[in-house]
Amino acid sequence: MDIRYSAEEQRFREECRAWLHDNVPAEKRPLNADAALDFDKAWQRRLFDAGWAGINWPKEYGGRGLSIVQQVIWLEEYAKAHAPWIGANFVGINHGGPTLIINASEEQKAYHLPRILKGEAIWCQGFSEPGAGSDLAGIKTKARIEGDELVINGSKIWTSFAHVADWQELVLRTEEGSARHRGLSWVICDMHAPGIEIRPIRKISGQVEFAQVFYDDVRIPLENVVGGLGNGWKVAMSTLSFERGTGFIADQVKQSQEIEELIARARASGAIKDDRIAAQLAQLRAEVAALRAMTYRNISEVIRTNQPGAEASVIRLFGSELGQRLERMAMLLAGPDVLDFRYGDDTFVGDYLRGFAGTIAGGSAQIQRDIIGERVLGLPKSR
Amino acid sequence: MDLSLDSELESLVTATGDWCRDNLPLEASRNRPPGIWGELEAMGWTGMTAEAMGLDHASEALVFAELGRYLAPVALLSTAVAARWAGTAGKVALAVPAAAGRVGSGQGGPVRVFDTDGAGHALGLVGGAAALAAIPADLAAEPGLDLSAPLAKLDPAPAFTPVGDGRAVLHLQLVAAAFAVGCADAARDMAADYAKVREQFERPIGWFQALKHICSDMAVRSAVARSQLCYAACALDAGEGDAAFHIASAKHLADQAAIDNSRANIQVHGGIGMTDEAYPHLCLKRAHLLAFVAPADQAIILGEAA
Repeated sequence: MDIRYSAEEQRFREECRAWLHDNVPAEKRPLNADAALDFDKAWQRRLFDAGWAGINWPKEYGGRGLSIVQQVIWLEEYAKAHAPWIGANFVGINHGGPTLIINASEEQKAYHLPRILKGEAIWCQGFSEPGAGSDLAGIKTKARIEGDELVINGSKIWTSFAHVADWQELVLRTEEGSARHRGLSWVICDMHAPGIEIRPIRKISGQVEFAQVFYDDVRIPLENVVGGLGNGWKVAMSTLSFERGTGFIADQVKQSQEIEELIARARASGAIKDDRIAAQLAQLRAEVAALRAMTYRNISEVIRTNQPGAEASVIRLFGSELGQRLERMAMLLAGPDVLDFRYGDDTFVGDYLRGFAGTIAGGSAQIQRDIIGERVLGLPKSR
Repeated sequence: MDLSLDSELESLVTATGDWCRDNLPLEASRNRPPGIWGELEAMGWTGMTAEAMGLDHASEALVFAELGRYLAPVALLSTAVAARWAGTAGKVALAVPAAAGRVGSGQGGPVRVFDTDGAGHALGLVGGAAALAAIPADLAAEPGLDLSAPLAKLDPAPAFTPVGDGRAVLHLQLVAAAFAVGCADAARDMAADYAKVREQFERPIGWFQALKHICSDMAVRSAVARSQLCYAACALDAGEGDAAFHIASAKHLADQAAIDNSRANIQVHGGIGMTDEAYPHLCLKRAHLLAFVAPADQAIILGEAA
C-alpha cells in the first residue's frame, strides 16, 4: 500500500491543472434551461478538443485510453479548479457511455461514443417507473416486436434531462408475459421519435430538472437493443455498479471543499466556539477524509481484480448520507437567512432541498442496506 | 497510488488471523494462558517496524487490526511503540493517565497501567507525548472494566519521560486505532453470524430488515474506519505533512465504530447479549478501554493544531 503518485501521474496532474487554470470559463453555468444546454454542449466540445473527454475510454472511440487513476486525478483537479458541472452530458458520460463500452456492438459504439464525448448527443435515463422504484424488476413499460422494429408503450419517471435529450437508455419488457428480471431489454431509444410525450416535474427546490416520459406506439429499430434481447437486467446492473463505485469522485472532491468552507465560516462567525458545533465539524472532516480513503481503496481493488466489489454499495450509502449531513450543517450555520430562499435561487438551500435525492435515486439508502446485509455480510434475502 | 493489498501483505494478514484463531481465541480473552506473552513476542509482532524488520506502518496496522479482532493483550500496543522509538526490549505495559480523553482537564491524578505482568516499564500518551516510566515489579493488578486487561493504579503517578521522536505518539494512536478497527469487525461478524442462525417468527432474524439494517450499518462503520486506517498508515509511512490529521481521524472513527458496533451487537443478540457467559460484552468493554488510549484530539482533526 502506498498513497504516493508515480512521477508520470504527477506530471499528468500538472497538465490537468495547467489546462484547467487557463480554460475554466469565468462565467457560471446559466440557470435558464436553453442557455444551460448550449453552455454544456460547448464546454463538452472544448474538453473533447483538448483531449480531456473520456480519459479512460478506449482510443478507437475518441477516448484517451488512460488509466482509472488518471481519470480520478482529472476529476479531482476538475473539481478543485471549480470547473462547471457537466450538466446535460452527465448521463451520457457517466451512465450511457460506460454501459455501451461494456455491452454494445461495434456499430453501436462507433456511432454513439464519439458523439457523447463531443457533446453532440445528450442522453437521459429510463429505468424507474411510477410502479417500479426500489423494486426496479417490476418494470411494466413494454415493447412488442413487429418486423425489425420494437413498438413501445408505457411510462418512465424521474428522467433527468428528458426535455433536452437525443437518446435514452431505456429498460423495458420485450417478452410478453415475462416476470421480474427476465424478459427485459436495454434499448437505445430515440427521444425525437413520434409518440413520445414529456411532462416536466418540479422539485421541492423549484427547479424543473426531471420529467415523466410517456410512450404511445413509439417505433425503435430492433438493432438498437444493447447486449441482446432479454439481457436488459444484466446490462442495466453493469451501469449501476459503476455508478455506485467510481462515479462519485467529483462529488467527493466537492464535499472536501464544502467541509473546509463550513469550518472557515464557523470560525468567522464564532459558531465554532460552541462545542457541539466544533464536534460535529470535526466528525464531518474525519468522515470526508475516510470517504476519500474508501473510494481510493475501491479503485485500487478494481485495478487489481478488474471488478468493483459489493463494497461499492458501502461507498454509495455512506457518501450520500454524509452529503446530506454536510448540507444540514450548512443550513444550521446559516441561521434564519435560509428563510429568504426563493425558487430559482442557486444557493446551498437549493442544494439542501435537492440533496434528498442522494438517498433516493440510484437505489435508496434502504435498498443499499439490503444489498450490504445480503452481499457483504451474507444475511438471508428478504425479497 | 494503491490502497489494495498485494499478495505478500494479504498472506501476512491471513497468516496472522489464522494464528490468532488457533492460539488467541476471543472467547478466551479474559483468561489467557500464562505463556501467551512469550508466544506473541516470538511471532515478532512487537518489532515489525524496527529497522531490522523493515516493515511499514501500513502492514503493521493491518496485522494489528487482526490481533485486535481477537482482543489480543493491550500491552502489544505499548510494547511495539516502545521498542520502535525507545529501543526497549521485553514487555512494556500500557499506561492511561487520569486525564485521558477528558476535555479541559489538566495533568495529574493516578495513572492506570494495564497488562503489567512481566513488564518493567509502562508507556502511554502522557502530557501530549508518548512517554515511558519504570513500574514496580510486584504490582498487584486487579480486573477492571475490560476483563482481558487487568489494571493497577499508580498514585502518585511515576515520573514519565517522553520518548524523543514525535512520531511515537502517532504510532501509538495508529496501532490503537487498528485494535479498535479489529474490535469493530469482531462485533460486526458476531452479530451477522448470530442473525443467520437465531430464529424468531419461524425465520432467521437477519431476514428482517430492522435487524439486517443494524448489521449493514455495522459493516459501513467498519469499512469507513478501516479505509481511513489504511490511508493514515500510508500517510505516516510517506512522511506526509497531514499524517497527524489522518491518524487522529482514523482513531476517532475507529473508536466510534468499535463502541457503536459493540453496542449494536448486544442489541442483535437480545437477552443472551446481556449475559456474562456470552461474548458480545467483551468487545464493548475493550472498545471503551481503547477509547482512552491516545484519544483523538478534536483540534487536530479540525486543523487547528499542527
